[in-house]
Amino acid sequence: MFPNSGASAPTMRVTSQSVVPRDITDEFTEAASKLSTGQLVKDEYFTLFEAVGALEIMDSKMDSGFLGPNENHAQALEDDYDITRELAPEEVVGIMDGLLCHEMAWHMGHPLSQTLFTSLYLDRLLWPVPNTLDEARFTRGSADGRNEEPALVNLVLRAYCMALVKCCDYVHARVAAEYYYEEEDFVTQLYNRNLLSPFDLDPFLDLLDRAAAWIEEQQDGINEEVRAAIKLRIEFRRDLLLGLYQDIDVIQNRSSDNFRACLSRLSDLAQSASIGKPVPESFSWKVQRRLASTVPPRPMVNISQDDALAHLKRLCQDGIDLQEILDYRGPHNFKVAVWTMLSRKPQPSVYIRSLLQTLIVNNALVLGVVPVRDFLYDELAELVLPTSILLQANTDQTEMPSNPRFQIAQHMDGFVKRFSQPFVDTFRSACLNRCRIRRTVCHTLVDWDNLQMEAEDLDEQLRTLSDEPPLILSNGDSTYSYPFSSWAYHQKLNQFRLILQLGFELSIYSPEELPGMYWYLSHICSTHLGHLDRIRTFTVATAKRNLTALAGKKRDAVERHAVLQKSLRLLERLSTQVVAVDAFAISLHALYVLLDRHHILPTASSPQAYSSERLRYELRMKPFLPITLPELVPYDDYRREALLEGDSDGAVLERATKAITEARKAWETTLANGAFSPDQPTPTTPAIEEDWKKDVKDTMRACIGTSLAIESLKKGLAMRNTSKGSSPDGPSVDLRVDIPEVGSKARFHDWWAVPQISHNTLRSKT
Amino acid sequence: MSQTQPPPLRYIRYEPSREDEYVAAMRQLISKDLSEPYSIYVYRYFLYQWGDLCFMTVDDSRPEDPIVGVVVSKLEPHRGGPMRGYIAMLAVREEYRGRGIATKLVRMAIDAMIARDADEIALETEITNTAAMKLYERLGFLRSKRLHRYYLNGNSAYRLVLYLKEGVGSMRTSFDPYAAPADARLEMSGAAGVPAAPAPPPLLQGNGR
Repeated sequence: MFPNSGASAPTMRVTSQSVVPRDITDEFTEAASKLSTGQLVKDEYFTLFEAVGALEIMDSKMDSGFLGPNENHAQALEDDYDITRELAPEEVVGIMDGLLCHEMAWHMGHPLSQTLFTSLYLDRLLWPVPNTLDEARFTRGSADGRNEEPALVNLVLRAYCMALVKCCDYVHARVAAEYYYEEEDFVTQLYNRNLLSPFDLDPFLDLLDRAAAWIEEQQDGINEEVRAAIKLRIEFRRDLLLGLYQDIDVIQNRSSDNFRACLSRLSDLAQSASIGKPVPESFSWKVQRRLASTVPPRPMVNISQDDALAHLKRLCQDGIDLQEILDYRGPHNFKVAVWTMLSRKPQPSVYIRSLLQTLIVNNALVLGVVPVRDFLYDELAELVLPTSILLQANTDQTEMPSNPRFQIAQHMDGFVKRFSQPFVDTFRSACLNRCRIRRTVCHTLVDWDNLQMEAEDLDEQLRTLSDEPPLILSNGDSTYSYPFSSWAYHQKLNQFRLILQLGFELSIYSPEELPGMYWYLSHICSTHLGHLDRIRTFTVATAKRNLTALAGKKRDAVERHAVLQKSLRLLERLSTQVVAVDAFAISLHALYVLLDRHHILPTASSPQAYSSERLRYELRMKPFLPITLPELVPYDDYRREALLEGDSDGAVLERATKAITEARKAWETTLANGAFSPDQPTPTTPAIEEDWKKDVKDTMRACIGTSLAIESLKKGLAMRNTSKGSSPDGPSVDLRVDIPEVGSKARFHDWWAVPQISHNTLRSKT
Repeated sequence: MSQTQPPPLRYIRYEPSREDEYVAAMRQLISKDLSEPYSIYVYRYFLYQWGDLCFMTVDDSRPEDPIVGVVVSKLEPHRGGPMRGYIAMLAVREEYRGRGIATKLVRMAIDAMIARDADEIALETEITNTAAMKLYERLGFLRSKRLHRYYLNGNSAYRLVLYLKEGVGSMRTSFDPYAAPADARLEMSGAAGVPAAPAPPPLLQGNGR
């Protein structure tokens, strides 16, 4: 089914003074009479999108002005609820909690119209749009507009509502300033209202303080327990408001106090919820009819208090843990921190993801302090150009145009302009929702393919200017390092791997594709390993040349030596991780080949399917078709490799067993190496390291699961060999294969679809 | 002939001359599974242009309400490139499910598209709708991407795609395949959200000039 959401897109109305209205009723009727029913009159711009966006007048589900048979205009628009009425203190708690649920539903991606804006209290405060804070009162429009009685409503509940709206204002501003997907991640639509955005923080704090002080004084009037519950909610709101107000200032303040305070109040908030008495009549879906919107009224979104508090808890915890990415410690470690934090399950909320995007880069500064150029240079120095003159040349210092250093600097300026944004985006893309990450990386892959070619041109020009000595190969040929294109290729191979792994995470692949996809993953890994080796070879050669200088105990030679060794250690670290992925992929590939060969691998497609395996391969390779390097594997080669044609069962089993042993070792080494390269100053990052370790440990559990599956298969195959009369086509092996779904307990890791193999005792003998 | 044997179901192609009768039944059948109905314009958009790709299942034993299954599709060049078929709606009356009616309807639609030289067929299905996914995957569709919170109810979808010819994946589209709004590419250098839905057509913006 295609989505029925076109109606929600805002339509643009352009009116001009010069348009003179003319009655065309007669002409229209005349023209329409020549059409038959159902005939469509449309221009080429009328697409499915417009068709979906069209509303049908007099259909109650689409026409927001439609009145039912016994409904009059007033009933349709107005609610009987009197918002100036007195409320029992328990009702105030109930309303506050109801509002919090709606607030979190909005954070989760539902529109304001179906959540917070259904509150009649908020409606009165926000419409008509108040010019001053003082105007935003429940009593506005009434004769005694200044009346503060009952204070529980006009002081306490109002303060809470005002502060809540201001909280939403900060969230709205942050998300809207960053990259997000409207309706997928968040709905920014305000329906011509505003969230008290013109007003500063202080008056909101004053309101809350006055409310808290008043509640404090009501020892006689309000039961102790209820009083505590109201006070708790006001204090919580104050903390949340301050936490959201801090926003990107967290870079300077380095404070997580407000989110910590919020978090500490959540269990009390949950426990005292039962004190509250809900006031459902203070929320009405009819408010939607008065909002500036082309969307027909939709049902109110009601999420449970538990869900709301769980969302809030994660928001606060993520807000606290975000501190751990703020200290810059080089691009490699930064990337690990960012991707680890954003790969949390469930994924951090859109507010946190937007905040992180801003922290990653804002005004051409990474983490508020590192210029994007330095960030890019740090990355190149870490990986491909340790100690290189290319990163030291600077046009400010060398002004003679004939000087090669000047020319190098000019080339480098162009490089920075072209590459810094795509590079920074490899970090920012982590902030998208998981589906969008994969789709985005499929697109950026093409960009990086082009960038690699551009970088190659640059490499050739700079090689002459920097007088790079060639590396002589054993066959006598000479070759050069091509640092920039090497680096671009490394980025691209990372993206290849990510696309494949996210494919597993998002359950994109059908079971019969698993042998091929794990083969492809290992193919990309081994290509990547070869490439890392190439980079290493040149760094080793540079280090060798430096040895001579080092023997002379030159000071800069000693420094260079340290930098080169650091780079080699990072290359080693990266290789270890790729080896770990590679080995695991090889093992799963071999295992799935056997399951397929013996017809015990579940399949999604039937023999009567319209598509062939060749067509399915082409479709699966779609993101990679336009890529020049690594070259696409032709289908016939792919098939041969992916099916391990010609290898006996024994040989394939052996391959699976050896590879999983190697994988387990490599993942152990990875775990021991830790999340971050120790060569960079390391701040303490307990939460992120915990997440990272959990991820590696889950992968190791998946390895163990694979070992078990291999053993079960081995036994099953051995038993088959001893029994006789197995048919060549049907399942000849008495085993049952289950592939646990992502998110289920038996799926140890999203990226590793490890089959569960059990003896098929239910199968009857014929 | 046994009296308990129900008459066989008939499969028919949509007939524009019987729009009043068919569209009403179709809408009723499809709206049943939707929280919010499609407007009449959506039906007309498909039926007026691609009525020959719409098929229905008829049970003559219930003459008052005979239509028990329907598939609605379209077929047009995708961004100026491959001929892409699109299965927009598929519905079978609840008590008739599990009898292969949906599969038969989809096969009829696909066969009609193949006859009209389709290169590929695409559709979306809610990730919770395992029956639909199984149906399409049995026919050879693959999940090409997952679409986050695609539907109004907040549920995500899979895009399912079937290639019918070799070389479809490399077919050139007339404009940048990644720049089109329906599949909005992320230009991360700009700091604004890209709407998930296509932008209004240029015509609207030129109004009043």
